[in-house]
Amino acid sequence: MTVLRAEGLTVAMGDVPVLRDIGLSLEAGQVLGLVGESGAGKSMLGRAIARMLPAGFGVVGGALAFDGADLLAMPAARHRALLGREIAFVPQEPLTALNPVLTIGRQFGEHLKRLGIPRARDAAIAAFEAVHLRDPAGLLGRYPHQLSGGMCQRVLIAMAFAGRPKLVVADEPTTALDVTIEANIVRLMAELQRGHGTAVLFITHNLRLAARICDDIAVLYSGAVVERGRGRDVLAQPAHPYTRCLQLADPPLTGPPRALYALPETMPGLRDAMRMKGCRFAPRCPVAGDECTRGSPPMGPRAACFRTELTGGIAAPSLQTQQHGVGMDNVLEAIGLRKRFATGGLFRRGGTLAVRGADFIVRDGEFVAVVGESGSGKSTLGRLVVGLETASGGRIVLDGRDVTRGGEAARRHRVATVRMVFQDPQSALNPRRRVIDLVTQTLEARGVGRSARRERGRALLAEMGLPPDAAGRMPHQLSGGQKQRVNIARALCSLPRLLVADEIVSGLDVSVQAQLLLLLARLRREHRFALLFISHDLAVVRHLCDRVLVMRSGEIVEQGAVAEVFANPRHEYTRELLAAARGH
Amino acid sequence: MRPLRSGRVIAGAVIVAAVLMCALLAPHLAPHDPDDQNLIAQLLPPAWQVGGDADYPLGTDGLGRCVLSRLLFGARVAMEVALIASLGAALVGSLLAYVAGYLGGWADWLIGRAVDVWMSFPPVILSLILMTGLGTGVRNVIFAIVLVDWTRFCRVLRSEVIVVARRDYVSAARLSGFGHWRTVTREVVPATVPLLVTLLSLEMGIAVVVEAVLSFVGLGARADQVAWGQMIADGRQAIYQAPWALFAPVLAIFVTVAGFNLLGDGLRRTLDVRMVEGRE
Amino acid sequence: MLLILARRALTAVPILFVVSLMLFVALRVLPVDPAAMSMPPSATLAEIDAMRSQMGLDRPLLEQYGIWLNQAAHGDFGQSLHLRRPVLRLVADTLPATIELAVAAMLVASALGVGGGLALFALRGRRAELAAESATTVLMSVPEFLWALLFIFVFGVLLQALPFTGRLDASLPRPDITGFLLLDAVLVGRVDVLWSALAHLVLPAAALGLAFAPPIVRVLRSSLLDVYHDDYIRQARLRGLSEGRILCRHALKNAALPMLTLMGVQFGFLFGGSLLVEVIYSYPGLGNLMVDAVRNADLPIIQMVGLTYCVLVLAINTLVDGLYVVLNPKLRRR
Repeated sequence: MTVLRAEGLTVAMGDVPVLRDIGLSLEAGQVLGLVGESGAGKSMLGRAIARMLPAGFGVVGGALAFDGADLLAMPAARHRALLGREIAFVPQEPLTALNPVLTIGRQFGEHLKRLGIPRARDAAIAAFEAVHLRDPAGLLGRYPHQLSGGMCQRVLIAMAFAGRPKLVVADEPTTALDVTIEANIVRLMAELQRGHGTAVLFITHNLRLAARICDDIAVLYSGAVVERGRGRDVLAQPAHPYTRCLQLADPPLTGPPRALYALPETMPGLRDAMRMKGCRFAPRCPVAGDECTRGSPPMGPRAACFRTELTGGIAAPSLQTQQHGVGMDNVLEAIGLRKRFATGGLFRRGGTLAVRGADFIVRDGEFVAVVGESGSGKSTLGRLVVGLETASGGRIVLDGRDVTRGGEAARRHRVATVRMVFQDPQSALNPRRRVIDLVTQTLEARGVGRSARRERGRALLAEMGLPPDAAGRMPHQLSGGQKQRVNIARALCSLPRLLVADEIVSGLDVSVQAQLLLLLARLRREHRFALLFISHDLAVVRHLCDRVLVMRSGEIVEQGAVAEVFANPRHEYTRELLAAARGH
Repeated sequence: MRPLRSGRVIAGAVIVAAVLMCALLAPHLAPHDPDDQNLIAQLLPPAWQVGGDADYPLGTDGLGRCVLSRLLFGARVAMEVALIASLGAALVGSLLAYVAGYLGGWADWLIGRAVDVWMSFPPVILSLILMTGLGTGVRNVIFAIVLVDWTRFCRVLRSEVIVVARRDYVSAARLSGFGHWRTVTREVVPATVPLLVTLLSLEMGIAVVVEAVLSFVGLGARADQVAWGQMIADGRQAIYQAPWALFAPVLAIFVTVAGFNLLGDGLRRTLDVRMVEGRE
Repeated sequence: MLLILARRALTAVPILFVVSLMLFVALRVLPVDPAAMSMPPSATLAEIDAMRSQMGLDRPLLEQYGIWLNQAAHGDFGQSLHLRRPVLRLVADTLPATIELAVAAMLVASALGVGGGLALFALRGRRAELAAESATTVLMSVPEFLWALLFIFVFGVLLQALPFTGRLDASLPRPDITGFLLLDAVLVGRVDVLWSALAHLVLPAAALGLAFAPPIVRVLRSSLLDVYHDDYIRQARLRGLSEGRILCRHALKNAALPMLTLMGVQFGFLFGGSLLVEVIYSYPGLGNLMVDAVRNADLPIIQMVGLTYCVLVLAINTLVDGLYVVLNPKLRRR
């Protein structure tokens, strides 16, 4: 029985289509994965099902049927009656999806009452037990802010499955969660889905995750389905060049290390795409031919591509032999480093010690990763190194000089030695300054003249692979990947010996992430600097770094060479992290 | 410039400019000396009403003084107070806000407590008490408004400065080797200018009202200066015989304040400023 | 809850202390001589000097403050120079009237503000929204004393519909139990007194309330707009809840928090605004007492009334903070 069927579904913003001619069907008890990078339009399908498209957006063609009934044409009252009962939604941000001023019990009770489930308290407790929440009775009286993100997501999943819906739409349900929690949530959803025979529409940017849990996968590019097939097949033998490139851009966590394939440029904007005659992927496609720019390829059995037979031949460049030349000098030495936050609130458990006695070194030219989950203190560690936080104990030696205690001389030494790349380029780039001024900030601080600054700035931008006209632009006129390049350029302006990078590729699309990782590797070859790379993504760490520090609750529980630690993790927590990331 | 496309900004700016012109050109525009008493022509209605005199377009008050002339000269006091007092309050309040918000720590604590003390006084009461001490006169009115209203700037701007100073780009500037002075002037201040401009415009409206209030209770401008508040107090005595003598200054205050509010509101919208709402 | 209120009240004590010191110092450096004022005009310089030392005015400022503080601690806030009555008595007589006015005005402002805020929110995205918004901006430009004058003119002079001086008809006996006239009228069971008191309260309360409604309208509207952008509203819709239920159960409680903060601040300003309205309506409250005292340079009254206003503002702030904690579970202790 078909639960959800889309035929020729087209959604547009004004006259600009954001979803084009979507054809999909989802059978009862099946999981359909909708995979795409940001801007591909993958969230629009969920919103169309909920009839909650953003203002200015509307369905302009095609049909969308739920259980045989036309979702788009039915009266609003009937559509609303379906929501929560027959069609349920699991949100992306669990922490903000529950009302902060009402208790969990009130919100769950309200939902059960609407579903007409009697004896709401017992039913709620049973539902919480089914999603493996501890102390379900006590949970009823708690407020959302007293729960962790994982617990909130369990509550929301319990809510979604409470009415035994036929269809559950899950839009990036694990993106906001830590990797170990992600694994648990995915397992839980699969368990409930099988138990109830529910159909699930799983929307995600993560091809690997989708392939693991979905029966079928549809890959979206620029508003259209470019490939669809069985989950396993799509990952093992991609038929569309885009899928293949996505797969090659994603660094592997198992198997032999390989180089990444970085797609050039970015997905075309909606308006640009409308003007393109041929395949929208053609400008970035490694195997595109003349016919690709002339007309739109029709959807075949697997992919919408004229040259699907060439897809298998796309390969990443061969891996460069690892000759990074790590020196023997220590650029950074941390001895018994501690940080206590005076006013609590940041860490509920174990007081307010964010970093407790960290000992590690970073050698000249070495790339060292700090991995751990949110709240592990890895960001605080980075902020201590650059001097944004003052250590409560221990010592920091930068390039042979103790800079633990502040003072102007120590500050100057720090400025000359270490630089930071911030996580969120949105917040890290002053929206009121031009790119050229942003990247040469260090020179400005030293009083270097304007023309010399411009010259250095232009050279830097060229080196970062940014177009020359980027110099005069404001940050908001750049794409996410370009902003992050500017961010890196600023840090590298005066060629520091150590770079501290806090989650600089998280939140970016895989193809952009691959571009940045390749850029970092190239810059390393050309300029030789050390990197303290703070990340939660083990695959990226494995690809980029030489050594790794594993942090939990402010403590470094294990450190060593990346290959060594990933192959033979000695600490229980490292094993747990690796297992979760590999999806076991 | 985005603000120039907003209807509110244009409407507000036009009104404010018109009142400012009246104030500047009062000696040339006014048909009479504002203090000239014509005892034969007391409580005349406006020229368009029965019994009106074309010589006195808006009629006369209880002492036979030309309402229009007094209105025009009253604008001088109102605008002088609005411009100087709000700039003064902005200067004091924003300086303290930058210090408190950027430095934090004990400076923030101290300034925060000072604001608390000030805020526990209704502003009107505080300015009344200050005026009792300072004595009447436009300069003292300005002084009192600065002393009372710096908290409006300090309170709102401080929280904005804290938000801005926490942004990564401010940290990045420090890590690039910027000193505190350069960081504040290059990175923090530009981000708060829209809020400051908006607050300034709203404060000008408030200053007009406060000056009128003080003059109304006899503690504002000196008796020999013409102020709208005084005209209201005078007009109230003859509310039955000559309501226009009361309404002219009431209308003048309303239009002027509306001008400043429209301007401030439009600026807030177009410059996209987050701010605490609140009139007084 | 009580603990929070107590803690907040405790932090108000040092503020009050500082305020009283500032008031004291500010009023003592005035170029006015309270001793000379308290004597008949025929008094000789020697007599005035004697009075000055009797009042302690020749001692150092801080010592004078210490004496004042000590007397205040024993319930003695001094004598009015002009009215020659204990200041405490004068304030006690006028305070209920001002509180009655302020509370009535706040009720008017809340009713108009919440109603207007919801109406403006309901207009969101429509063409009328811009006009309605501009109207609130214009309304915000009418301060309370302009409303007061306007109402006197329209309802008092033109229509002659409502009284606009004092708290009660002169012909009626004034019950004096608590000082709160409406309450007293109920207590003595006089419908005519209650009616007259209400009629006298309508115009000043409306003038004051109308001036303070527009900020409430705007804050409620903008916080509702903010709340409707939040994920939990979308999630509630996705569960199929009705729009009415989402507004009442989910949105209003969240949107009330910023509004509450504003109303706390507004209440402080409201007391300031009440001063003007009292003067205009010859309403025998704190404001009139204050203005008369200012005109007569009656320092003990100015000082005491100033202090009373501060106590009122701090008390309101404490209450609002407590209410905020009740409504916002994030601030409650775990």
